[in-house]
Amino acid sequence: MEEFFQFLWTGVTIGSTYAVVALGFVTIYSVSRVVNLAQGEFVMLGGMLLYTLLEAGLPLWAAAVSTVLLVALLGFLIEWGLVRRAGNADELSLIILTIGASIFLRGVASMIWGKDAVKVSSFTGDDPLMLGPVPVTPQTLWIVGTVLVLVILLYLFLEKTLTGKAFQAVASNRTAARLMGIRPLRMSALSFVISGVLGAAAGIVISPVLYPAYDVGTLLGVKGFSAAILGGLGNPAGAVTGGVLMGVMESFGAGYVDSGMKDAIVFAIVLIALLIRPQGLFGEKSVGKGGL
Amino acid sequence: MRALGLFTLVVLLFPWLTDSSYLLTVATFTGIYAIVAVGLGLLMGYAGQISLGQAAFFGIGAYTSAVLSVKAGFSPWLGMVAGMILPGLVAFLLGRTLSRLRGYYLAMATLAFGIGIHVLLNEWTSLTGGASGLYGIMKPELLGLKIKTGIPYYYFVWFFALLAVFMTLNIARHRIGRALSSIHGSEAASAAMGVAIGKHKMQAFVFSAMLAGLAGALFAHMGYSLSPETFGLSTSILFVTMVVLGGMRSVWGAVVGAILISSIRVGVKFLGEEIPGITSEFELVLFGLILMLVVLFLPRGLVPELKERFQNRWRKPKAALAAGSEKEGSACDIRSSV
Repeated sequence: MEEFFQFLWTGVTIGSTYAVVALGFVTIYSVSRVVNLAQGEFVMLGGMLLYTLLEAGLPLWAAAVSTVLLVALLGFLIEWGLVRRAGNADELSLIILTIGASIFLRGVASMIWGKDAVKVSSFTGDDPLMLGPVPVTPQTLWIVGTVLVLVILLYLFLEKTLTGKAFQAVASNRTAARLMGIRPLRMSALSFVISGVLGAAAGIVISPVLYPAYDVGTLLGVKGFSAAILGGLGNPAGAVTGGVLMGVMESFGAGYVDSGMKDAIVFAIVLIALLIRPQGLFGEKSVGKGGL
Repeated sequence: MRALGLFTLVVLLFPWLTDSSYLLTVATFTGIYAIVAVGLGLLMGYAGQISLGQAAFFGIGAYTSAVLSVKAGFSPWLGMVAGMILPGLVAFLLGRTLSRLRGYYLAMATLAFGIGIHVLLNEWTSLTGGASGLYGIMKPELLGLKIKTGIPYYYFVWFFALLAVFMTLNIARHRIGRALSSIHGSEAASAAMGVAIGKHKMQAFVFSAMLAGLAGALFAHMGYSLSPETFGLSTSILFVTMVVLGGMRSVWGAVVGAILISSIRVGVKFLGEEIPGITSEFELVLFGLILMLVVLFLPRGLVPELKERFQNRWRKPKAALAAGSEKEGSACDIRSSV
């Protein structure tokens, strides 16, 4: 039984990071109808930049804040320099564009940091705490706590601020929002900045557990996207649920089935879920018929 | 078809132009990549579907043929046939299951499928030899002679590559190609005109998977061993980059893309020997740049853009066109959309 809770907690921890990546996807998609496949690279850069700034002797809080700001700026640049320039390109071109951005960032990271993973020490030591009957490391509490705070902040932003309302207006009806004096392009840029912040924050808190390397973004991005789709693209609550679900499935798959097969298990489940409900668990609109 | 003739001549002459065995190996790989690229180009440019898991079909083809020859002692020729059929079958089943998905969802599903197959190749140790791979793969024989690595294998691969180009050109120019083009243009309009959208997309998907499988089988028998890292996501992206750079809506574009990307990789390798900072990962930077720049500045890809400029420069007076001159577009005798 204790084993079960151990796996569950591990799953919730990993799942929280997927949830944040999924939130980033959904934030951008709802406003600009773009799936930013470079989302995983935001997480990777969060970990790598934190490592570098800590090595340079900055205190943890300063390194974390600077990292978030840098990645947010990168998010803005991707929107302003690439997505906006692509204008009315079709879905296929936008997918290719963001894949290009993603492997470009991966290549640059490998040239800066090399191929080996870097090590960031835990924020508050490694002595296990008791969470009910289960011993957990403090870092996992940092991860889950940070994700909770991010989700609450995003909710407050969307629901309680004027900018957040404008943001939602663009997501629900671009033309009407424009007629009301909201600038969709600004909101689009903002959505990329928000995802940059989300990705970097996730990258920062998981870095002591993950050992970031230049290529960790790929799988994080794919899983975050799967989580977003599983929850129904365009639905923040669904994205978080989807992410946590995926993490738990992965952890149980690794613990009870086979650790090497865990990714294959997760994707198989996502594929099956999509076949049963193509619009996702909390589906937004119809996905459209006539794929292949 | 004149372009095909010219190109065949270049392919035939290439081994006489270089005495470097390294370049010959690269040219052989280019042939293998070109086979995958023309299939993927048909899928992307004509059916408007992106596959981010093409390396999986490439891998299924390679492993099918290698496992049959290493573990069951089958002739590589039979292995190659099986290496085409199995990926085609997998694509058919996958396409059937994914027929309700579109756009981003489909891109995601092919990506997940690619990663899943890559994991399987790594983990199914009893069959694939796991991460360390398979050893002792035989060479195919022709008329009782082994097709050795080097010039014989180069011609062997390019024979199939030219065949693949020829077949794809025919598909792209005829009914299926036109139907697929119309789908890429507007699905609703095509459906209204009675085009069987689902059927044609499925055909393109299965065809591209079969070509990738054939290329995989050729890849497997070229060397002595096979390991899973060749068949990961980066290889899938490599294929997509070839198609995007050359031009999605052009069969020749895919071939040119395969040649250019292979050349860039050779360039990076040589630069890496001179400059310590340039590792194989530098390729990622270049491919990323290529993908972004092509989408922004050459949305149709190199070959269609260059062809248009070339034709505009040599545009004939209308009278000559009306007379139906046979020489029109002699440089590449390709209809407007191919």
